[in-house]
Amino acid sequence: MLPALVILGAFVFWPMLAALRLSFTESSGFGPSRWVGLANYSTIFHDPKILKTLGITAMYAVMFTPTAIIVALLFALVLTNKALIGRGAFRTALFLPFIVSMAVAAFAWSYLLDPQLGLLNYWLSNVGIHLGNVLQDPRLALPTVVVVAVWKSFGFYMVVFIAGLQQIPEDLYEAARIDGAGRWRRFVYVTVPQLSTTFAFVVVFATIAALQAFDQIYVMTGGGPYRHTQTVVAEIYSQGFKKLDLGLASAISYVLLLITLVLSLVQFRFFGRHEKDVVG
Amino acid sequence: MSAAIAATMPRAQHRASLRKRLGRVGFSAAVLVLAAIVLLPCIIIVLTAFKPVAEVNAHPPTLAPHHWTLDNFRAIFSDLPFKRLFLNSFLFAGGVTLFALIFDALAAYALARLDFRGNRLLLVVIVASLMIPFQATLIPVYQLVAHLGWVNSIQGMIAPRAADAFGIFFLRQFFISLPRDLDNAARIDGASEFRVFWNIVLPNAMPALLTLGIFTFINNWNDLLWPLVFITDPKLATVTSGLTMLTGPSGIVPFGTMMAGSLVAVAPLAVIFLIVQRRFVESIATTGIK
Amino acid sequence: MKKVMLPLAVAASAVLALSACSGSGSDNTSAAGGDGASKHVSLTFWHGYTEADGKVLDQIVDDFNKSQDQVTITDVTKTWADIGDTLLTSLSAKTGPDLVALPAENLPIYASKGAFQKLDDFYDSDETKGASLNEQAVSMEKVDGSYYGVPTGFVPLSVIYNKKLFAAAGISAFPTTWDEWVADAKKLTKDADGDGTPEQYGLALPDHATVGNGVWPSLFYGGGGGLVDDSGHSVIDSDANVKTLTYWADAVRKDHISPTGLDGVKSDGLFSSGKAAMEIGGPWMAGVAADNKIDYGIAGVPGGSAGPAASAIGISAGVTVQADADQKAAAEKFFAYFFSQDVATKWSLGSGWPPLRTDIPASAVSSNPVVKALTGIAGTARPLLPGVANSVDVLAAVDEATQKALTGGDPAELLKAASATASQALSE
Repeated sequence: MLPALVILGAFVFWPMLAALRLSFTESSGFGPSRWVGLANYSTIFHDPKILKTLGITAMYAVMFTPTAIIVALLFALVLTNKALIGRGAFRTALFLPFIVSMAVAAFAWSYLLDPQLGLLNYWLSNVGIHLGNVLQDPRLALPTVVVVAVWKSFGFYMVVFIAGLQQIPEDLYEAARIDGAGRWRRFVYVTVPQLSTTFAFVVVFATIAALQAFDQIYVMTGGGPYRHTQTVVAEIYSQGFKKLDLGLASAISYVLLLITLVLSLVQFRFFGRHEKDVVG
Repeated sequence: MSAAIAATMPRAQHRASLRKRLGRVGFSAAVLVLAAIVLLPCIIIVLTAFKPVAEVNAHPPTLAPHHWTLDNFRAIFSDLPFKRLFLNSFLFAGGVTLFALIFDALAAYALARLDFRGNRLLLVVIVASLMIPFQATLIPVYQLVAHLGWVNSIQGMIAPRAADAFGIFFLRQFFISLPRDLDNAARIDGASEFRVFWNIVLPNAMPALLTLGIFTFINNWNDLLWPLVFITDPKLATVTSGLTMLTGPSGIVPFGTMMAGSLVAVAPLAVIFLIVQRRFVESIATTGIK
Repeated sequence: MKKVMLPLAVAASAVLALSACSGSGSDNTSAAGGDGASKHVSLTFWHGYTEADGKVLDQIVDDFNKSQDQVTITDVTKTWADIGDTLLTSLSAKTGPDLVALPAENLPIYASKGAFQKLDDFYDSDETKGASLNEQAVSMEKVDGSYYGVPTGFVPLSVIYNKKLFAAAGISAFPTTWDEWVADAKKLTKDADGDGTPEQYGLALPDHATVGNGVWPSLFYGGGGGLVDDSGHSVIDSDANVKTLTYWADAVRKDHISPTGLDGVKSDGLFSSGKAAMEIGGPWMAGVAADNKIDYGIAGVPGGSAGPAASAIGISAGVTVQADADQKAAAEKFFAYFFSQDVATKWSLGSGWPPLRTDIPASAVSSNPVVKALTGIAGTARPLLPGVANSVDVLAAVDEATQKALTGGDPAELLKAASATASQALSE
């Protein structure tokens, strides 16, 4: 057990403490660093541009988490339906987006969505729909990035749901059927309660992932058009690595950590009895 | 379906089963169409990889190539040291997976089974560490690796990943769901804590380890910034970081070549998942997160 | 054992924290030689020259290593983006390059944060003074009155055009004024199916993240405006700029000569796929066009009311803080070699960029038609925001204004807002 703790201590806990210390300094990573107390935190709450990234991240999470979970659950229900021929092949195929690296996925999507060279625009324009340049449209850019993120990650949550669904004893459905429950009632009164631990896990981890959204934004929009997709982590990256202000970047990271932590605890409470199993 | 009913009502049964079969085919066909739409970007990756350069940018855009070509694949093998990139990727992703499984299992077992002071707090801190963006801790981690003299080395890439918070959490959930009677019996027989872990708990944890192993392998195989930061020696680049070398001046990406490279890069992952797909789902079911 | 788990973890991190802190204070520079008389100095040099230019640079470094026996330079080819992503991290642990090339507009921020060493002594040497380096190029290296780098490339943005499409539209001479330019672009814009979305555009005019961030500054200069005046104040909302932005927004919105929402890379893509007849681009577009079998020509950016002018793309090389005195001296030795007449000529021909010395006659580089064309317009080149550490925010403000104007915003208001943001960034 000791080696694991040494590694965690060295490469997880210590860097977290180091980042915490950095958040109270003005530092670029190479030159000298200067203790500035809470100045970086004060900057965050007085800079409307940084505050706006928190809002964008919240919007992102509000769109991403439910969408990803619903899409994953629907596919899980379809793929556990015994009537489906070739379930194994479908499972593998629909898991593919999760296997592809984000950079490659973003390339493929950009190519598909490109207003001049892309297939999607071409096909849609043939039926009279002009999608335009979705990634550069201030209203559509964030939803588009969310779509790509859902596409990329639903396979993971889908597999988790499939596993959960397979654990539900068949006789529960049988009993419900005898009681005259239809498909929908069986879903609401048997499936959903039986999946509550799965939901707790998926909701919490999908939210954490949403609040850390960065890769697809870095590759697809660079935070644009004019910061409309600039999430908190994208801002941390540009403050730290483009403007070389590691102190401010670390301070934003800790604000994000606190928000995420509080949100996760609330979510675990919401899922009631299972909180003990998870973090309690 | 009861055999008795089937025997007494053969005709109706036959009609019903035909309808059922047609229903199955229709349902499956609908799912197939849906899957094809969802997988369109993947299909584009595959088909673009076989397009000649002129067709990649052609107008109007096309889905399938007119002239299938292997030029893009030839290009990646001639422009990049692909064999070495592959070897490095296997060493890096494989190494991380191996060590992470061992260390995660040990830590998770301790958290699940041993009642030490601060157990809960440690778990909260571990989960909280998932909530800090890695951009924030990258520099301290790097400085530490540099201090150990491990920059530009395979162990420098692997070590910081050799225990990971998600894996510990995941396995802890699994260990909690294992019946305690199993290991208590062994403990009463006088087995050491390590023996209990090694001989009793670990063999039962194989499905969970398989699942976690696959996730760890996929994530590290696909990781871009990590190998870019820790490795400046092109000899140690991975497939994923090596592909960025195809980017031209001002960031122009040669699409066909990039897609061919991506396809080759993702092939091992797809094959692995295809092989273990069934056990993969089963094993998630047995971990506490069902 | 059980009771000590958490304290152990804390202790382990604390010990590592202490050791790492003490470690980062000590100098563990890899390449410093001994103090012997014949000391040998090794340098690592990162750059992003990935194409034919990279091979020429490899050759130059190799020749330099062979030309003397005290210094060995190992050059590492990365992409420019990789350098941006990894320079900070590697320097934070002194495992980075001793010498690094990067886009010139990024030099001031690194210099102001202490990543680069001052090179004033290099510029004071008689050898450098005698090299007649391009003054505009050198001005990109100056931050707060000191030099922090040397130029390895400096080239005005130029227009690359598709000769086949020009011939098809019956245009024989490249335009020299904005009005001619837009008129030709209109002729080159084709919307055969009449759906309002052309299949071929006269011009690919990016509205954000343009090549070297220089497309809009070039147009602003051409219209008699600019971004920052000599005393470092924003002049983004000048009347001249409002006129320029209005002019080009009209051309895009009313005449559809270019799609909107393009960035520099997308523009390159449109031109190289033959879907745009012209674009404002960097010298590498010649090679990209050739790869895509496009018969291309290169011309200066046509002038507006103030005549032709173009923002320049610069690449700078700096000596990082991790280099010791010997390594810095060795780097300067390499710079001197790099700027010697023969090598500078060779670099120009091989990289396709105009010579960095003004005393190299055009005839010396005429064997490369691209260099010849670019050298012919080198006089119009202006450095982009030299010495401005916070150029990222200034350029982002300009990008927001141009992108919004091309989708229908009011240029005067947008430039006013951009100027306010830029002023704040400039005062930080």
